[in-house]
Amino acid sequence: MMSPQNKAMPHPPAPSQATRRVAWRCLAVLASLLLLGCRASDGLPNVLYLGVEVNPDETIDANLLADTRQRLGYLEAGYRQLYPNTRFQVSLYPEQQLAWAIQRRNRAGLGPDLLLINGDMAVQLLDAGVIAPFPRTEVDLNPFDPQVLDRLRNSSGELAGLPLLVQTQLACFNRRRLPVAPATLEQLLDTSAKGHPVGLSMEAYNLFWTVGSLGAIDAIDTAAAGRQPSGAQQQAIERWLTWLQNANNQLRVTFYASHSSAEAEFQAGRLDWFPCRSSAIPRLRKTLGDGLGVAPLPGGEGGNASPINKLRVLALGTNASRSSRERALAFSCFSVNPLSQRNLTLGSQVVLPANRFVRVPVSSSATLRAMVTSTEQGSQTNTLGELIHSNDPRLDKIQTLLTTLVFGEVPPSKAGQSLVAILRNRP
Amino acid sequence: MRELLLEVLGWLGYLERPAVLLQLAVVIGLMVLRRFAARRNWLRQLRPRAYTPLALVVLAASCLLLALLGLPYGLSGQLGMLWLGWYALNLLQPLLQRRLGTETARQLDSRLLRPAYLLLAALMLISSLDSIRDLAVAPLGSVLGVPVDAGKLFNAGLITYLVLVGSGPPAAGVAWLVQRALATSDSSRKAMELMLRYTVVGLGLVGVGMHLGLNTTALIAVAGGLSVGLGFGIKEVFSNFVSGLWLLFEGSVRPGEVLLLDDDHCEVRKLGLRATLLWRDRDNAELLIPNQTFFTEATTSYTASDRMRRCQVDVGAAYHHDPHQVIALLEATALGVDTVLAEPAPKGLLLSYGDFAINYGLRFWIANPIEAPVISSAVNLEIWRAFKQQGIEIPFPQQVEYSMVWPPEQHRPNVDNH
Repeated sequence: MMSPQNKAMPHPPAPSQATRRVAWRCLAVLASLLLLGCRASDGLPNVLYLGVEVNPDETIDANLLADTRQRLGYLEAGYRQLYPNTRFQVSLYPEQQLAWAIQRRNRAGLGPDLLLINGDMAVQLLDAGVIAPFPRTEVDLNPFDPQVLDRLRNSSGELAGLPLLVQTQLACFNRRRLPVAPATLEQLLDTSAKGHPVGLSMEAYNLFWTVGSLGAIDAIDTAAAGRQPSGAQQQAIERWLTWLQNANNQLRVTFYASHSSAEAEFQAGRLDWFPCRSSAIPRLRKTLGDGLGVAPLPGGEGGNASPINKLRVLALGTNASRSSRERALAFSCFSVNPLSQRNLTLGSQVVLPANRFVRVPVSSSATLRAMVTSTEQGSQTNTLGELIHSNDPRLDKIQTLLTTLVFGEVPPSKAGQSLVAILRNRP
Repeated sequence: MRELLLEVLGWLGYLERPAVLLQLAVVIGLMVLRRFAARRNWLRQLRPRAYTPLALVVLAASCLLLALLGLPYGLSGQLGMLWLGWYALNLLQPLLQRRLGTETARQLDSRLLRPAYLLLAALMLISSLDSIRDLAVAPLGSVLGVPVDAGKLFNAGLITYLVLVGSGPPAAGVAWLVQRALATSDSSRKAMELMLRYTVVGLGLVGVGMHLGLNTTALIAVAGGLSVGLGFGIKEVFSNFVSGLWLLFEGSVRPGEVLLLDDDHCEVRKLGLRATLLWRDRDNAELLIPNQTFFTEATTSYTASDRMRRCQVDVGAAYHHDPHQVIALLEATALGVDTVLAEPAPKGLLLSYGDFAINYGLRFWIANPIEAPVISSAVNLEIWRAFKQQGIEIPFPQQVEYSMVWPPEQHRPNVDNH
C-alpha cells in the first residue's frame, strides 16, 4: 500500500511574509482608490435605485422586465435631458414579498431611493416605517384629485406617495373571432352561448368588477364598513353570487384559478374574451397583434362595471443619502409634470396619468378611451378600496367563499350571508 | 450581458451612502485588525485561534450599537454571519476528517461545502442589493438561436456542477445496493458505479440543454460540429473516452483489477474519461495510462476470471539428497506460509539435473496477485530455513583462482606457489 510519505502531494512554496505584506498593502490602496473613485462627483453616474411592485396577476419575466423598462424609459429619457449623468437601477418585487424585501434592504442601508408601488401598499409601508413620508413642501399637490390624496395619507396626515399613473382593468377580446365586445353581462353570456369561449379569474380581486354590473356595490360597502346591509342590499349580493354560479354552469365560460392562467389561455387562442389589466396590453399585443380588441368591462342591469384600478405612486425610501433623496424628489416632480404625464400616457398607451390636468386624447385611441371609461367606472370602488386594503385578512376568506360558491358547494343565499358576516368582521 | 454588467456596476452607487460605508468600515476594519492581532499576538493570554470568535463578538456588539443608534446594521450583520459560517466550516473540517477520512473530507469540503457556502453567500448579498428575480431574467444573449438569461445560465451551471460533483455518492450507493442484492464482485460494483455516474452526467447534460431550451435541430448542429472537431482536433480524447466506456462494459479493465504492465504488477485504481490510473506496487508510483492503450494492445491480467495467481520459486539441492524427500519438504514448507493457499495444493517439481545441483521448482497459489513478490520471498525464506533444519545442502558453484606463470612451461602446481 502507499506510504503516507509518498502519498503526500508536493505543496507549492508558501508566499513569504514580505510578499503577503505587499499584497495586503496593494489591496488597501486599491480599496481606497475605489472608494475615492465612487465618491468623486464626476466619476460614476448618479444611480437612482428604484423598487417596483409587481401585481399578483403578473409574473416577473423577461417580458415584464422589458415592459417596465420601456415604460419607465419614457420618463428616464426626459429626466436625463435635465440630469444627464443619472442611471436608473430598477428592481422588481412581487407584491407579497415587497414589504419584507424592502425592510431587509433598509436594515442593511441598501434600500431603494424611490419605489413605484400601489397606493394602498404605500400607505401600509408608511405605517410600517418602510418608506419615508413625502415632504409637504417639495411638490405641488394641486394637480391631483384631493380624494386620491386623502386615500394616500395615513392617520397622521402624512402623504405616503406621489400619484404617478393609473393601471386599469379592461375587457380584452380577440377581434378576429369576436368583432364587437359584449357591453353587458347578459350579452357576455349570450356571446359564450354562441360558441365564443370566455374566461374569468377566480381571484376575488379580479372578479370584483361584476359587483357593480349587478348593483351590489352599496351592499358590499355597507357590510365592509361593519354595518348590516338592508334587505334589498342583501338581495343584490345574492343576485351577484347567483350570476357567478350560473356563469360557471355555462359550457364556454371558464373560471381560472389565477389571472395569469386566463391570460395564457387567451394568448394561446383558446379564449375569445377575458378581463385584462392595462399593463398586460403590450404582452397581448405582441401575441395577437391587430387582433387584440380592448373595451370597457360589461355593465349590467345593476349599473356599470366596478373595476378595481391600480393607482401607482412614487414613494420615498428611507436609506437615501442627501443627494440621492434630492434626485428622487427631482425625478418625482419631473414625472408628474403635465408634459411627462402626457408622454407617459401616449408613449405606452397602457396607463393613464394621475395628474388631473392632463387631457387624454380619447378620440384617437380606442384603448385610451376604454381606459378612461374604466377609470370613471372604477370610482365606484373608491370607498371599498379605503375599507379593504390588499393585505386585509378578510380577502382570503372571501376568496375561499367565492371558490366554493362558483363550484356549487354552497347556495348563493347562504354564501351571501357568509359574505356579509366576513365583511362585517373588520380586523 | 451589457445590462447585467451595468446592473452589477450600479451597485457601486451604494458606496455613496454613509451608512453603507460605515458598516463596511466596521467589518473590513475588524477583519484586518484580527489578522494583525493574531499575527503579532497582541493579546498574549489568547490562543491565535481565539481571535476570530473575539472579532465576531466585537462585530455583533458593533451591530447592536448601530441598531441602538437607529442606524442600518443589516449589512454588517450579514457579513458577520457569513464570516461566522466560514469560521464554522473551518471548525467542521477536522470533525469531517475524523468521520470520513482525510481525503473524503477534503473533497467534500473543497468540492461541495465551500462552493455551496460561497454560492449561498453571494445570493444572500445580491438579494440585499437588488431583486434576484429580475436579475435572473436579465437577457444575456442567445445560444443557437435560443435566448439565454442570467437565471437560466446560472441554473445550467449549477446543475452541471452538481451533476459532475454530486453524482458520485448516489451512484456509489446504488452500486453498493446492487452488489448486496446480486452478490457481485467489488470490481463489478466499481464498474457499475462508474457507468451509473456517466449515465447521470449524460442525462444531466441533456437536461441542461432542455432547460436552456435548445431544440433538437440545434443539438444536431452541435453534434455535426463536434464530429468535424472529433475528426481533427480531439480525436485522441474521444478515442480514449470511447475506449474507457468499452473497457467498462467489457469488464476487462476495472478498478481493482491487477495487470502486468512492463513486467510490473499494477492495480487499476480509477478508470477515468481519458486515462486509467494504475498503482504500481514496486515503487508506489501512480501511472496514468491512456484508455486506448488497453484497447489496442495486449494486456496481461491476473484478475480477469478469478483473483488467484500461481507463483513459482526455483531452488537447487545437492545430488546426494533424495529428490522425493526434497519435493515433500518443499510442498510442506509452502503450506506453512500463511498467505499460500492450501487448495490448489502446492506442487514440487524436479526441473532438471544441473551441473552442480538438482534443480527443483515449487509451484503454489496465492489469493492476491499483487502480493506475489512478497509471498515468493516469504516462501524462499521458509525453504532456506527448512533445508537448514533438515540438513539439505543448497550447492553453489565455487571458483578457485590460480596464479599463472608465463610461459606455461614454467608453471608449477599451485601448492608450490603458496
